[in-house]
Amino acid sequence: MKHSQDLNEDVGEILLSEDQIRIKVVELGKRISADYAGRELTLVSVLKGSLPFMADLMRQIDLPLRIDLMEVSSYGGTATESSGLVRILKDLSAPIDDRDVLLVEDIIDTGLTLNYLIRYLRGKNPRSIKVCALLDKPARRLVEIPIDYVGFEIPDAFVVGYGLDFGEVYRNLRFVGVLRPEAYES
Amino acid sequence: MSEAGTPRDHKAGNAFAHASEAEFARILDFYQVAWEYEPQVFPILWDLDGNVLESFAPDFFLPDLELLIELTTLQQRLVRKKNRKVRRLRELYPNLRIKLFYARDFRALMLKYGRSALVSELSGTLGQVGPRHYAEPGLEGSSAAGPTAVGRQLDLSTGPADAAIDPRASHDRRSRGARRRAVRRAAAAYAPNSTAT
Repeated sequence: MKHSQDLNEDVGEILLSEDQIRIKVVELGKRISADYAGRELTLVSVLKGSLPFMADLMRQIDLPLRIDLMEVSSYGGTATESSGLVRILKDLSAPIDDRDVLLVEDIIDTGLTLNYLIRYLRGKNPRSIKVCALLDKPARRLVEIPIDYVGFEIPDAFVVGYGLDFGEVYRNLRFVGVLRPEAYES
Repeated sequence: MSEAGTPRDHKAGNAFAHASEAEFARILDFYQVAWEYEPQVFPILWDLDGNVLESFAPDFFLPDLELLIELTTLQQRLVRKKNRKVRRLRELYPNLRIKLFYARDFRALMLKYGRSALVSELSGTLGQVGPRHYAEPGLEGSSAAGPTAVGRQLDLSTGPADAAIDPRASHDRRSRGARRRAVRRAAAAYAPNSTAT
C-alpha cells in the first residue's frame, strides 16, 4: 500500500467535515444523556477505529459513566489465523453484569463484527446493550442489527479519517473522507 | 407450492461453484455465522402443466439470520440473468429475505479485510480456477500443487489444512437432521401461500 506524504492528497472528497462531526457528536451525547438519565452507563469502544469518536462522545454525555475498550481480530484470510476464527485481542477490563452497556462503533457495514461482539457481550450478563455508531453504511449490511444511535448514514464508498483507516493509515484525519481509488489500487 | 425451497442433496464431489464463494464461506466461519451452501432450490418458472421450467438455488443460507445470499462476482454486464432470478424469487416468495452480493460488494469486502490482491483473481472468473490463481507471495503452501476441489485449493494458499472449506461439511453446530428441519421450516414459512408468520 502506498500513501502520499500529505494524506489529504489521497482523499477525493470530504464526506463529513470536522464541524459536521462535532455537531453530530454533541447531538448524540445529548440523546444518550437523556435516554440514560438516572442510570450509570458503560461505554465500550471497539478498537481501534472508534477511539476518536469515543473520546469525543464520552465528553458530551452528562452522566456518571465508565469506559472500557475491546479489540477483536479482523478477517485476513492468512495462515497466521491459526484457528480461522475471530479472536478477542483485548477483552473488557471490568465486569459488566447488570450494567447498561453502550457499544461505541466507528462504522457499521456488514455487521459481522458487531453481531459477534453483541453475542459475546450478552454472555457477560449486562442489564442492557445498545449500539452507537458514528457511521452506518447500510448498503453493505449482511447481518441486520438494530443500531440505536446513528450519526450519519453514508453512501457506499471507502471512507477514511476520524479513526477509520486503510492499512492502519489515515486514522488521524480530522474529517471523514472518501479515499481515492489510486490510494488503494496498486 | 410444496416444491418451494426443496432441500438440495449435495453429493460427494461437489465443491463451491466459484472461488469467491469459498472465500465468503471462510469469512462467515471467521465471524462464527452458521451457513449452508445451496441448501434450497426454489422453482421460479412453471409451464401450463405445472412442471418446473426454471429454478434458482441461492448460494448461501444463513439459518440464524434467516437470510439467503447470492454472490455474483462476474462482470456487471453478466449479472442481468441473476438479477432477473432474484427479482422473480422476491415476487414469488415475498417473505423470503435474499441479498444479492455484487462484484463491487465483494471487492469492498476484500478491500476492507486487506485482501484486495484477491479481487482481481476472484472477480470475473467463471467457475473453478486452478491453484496458481491463488498463489500469493508469502502465503504458506501457495506454490504447492493441490487437489482439484476449489475448497482445497484455497486451503493450500490461505490457511491450514484443518480449516478446509468444504461445502459438504457442516458449518452449523446443529445436527444435519436439525439443520434440514430448520431449512424446511424456513422454506415453508417463505412459501407464497404459507400461513406461517
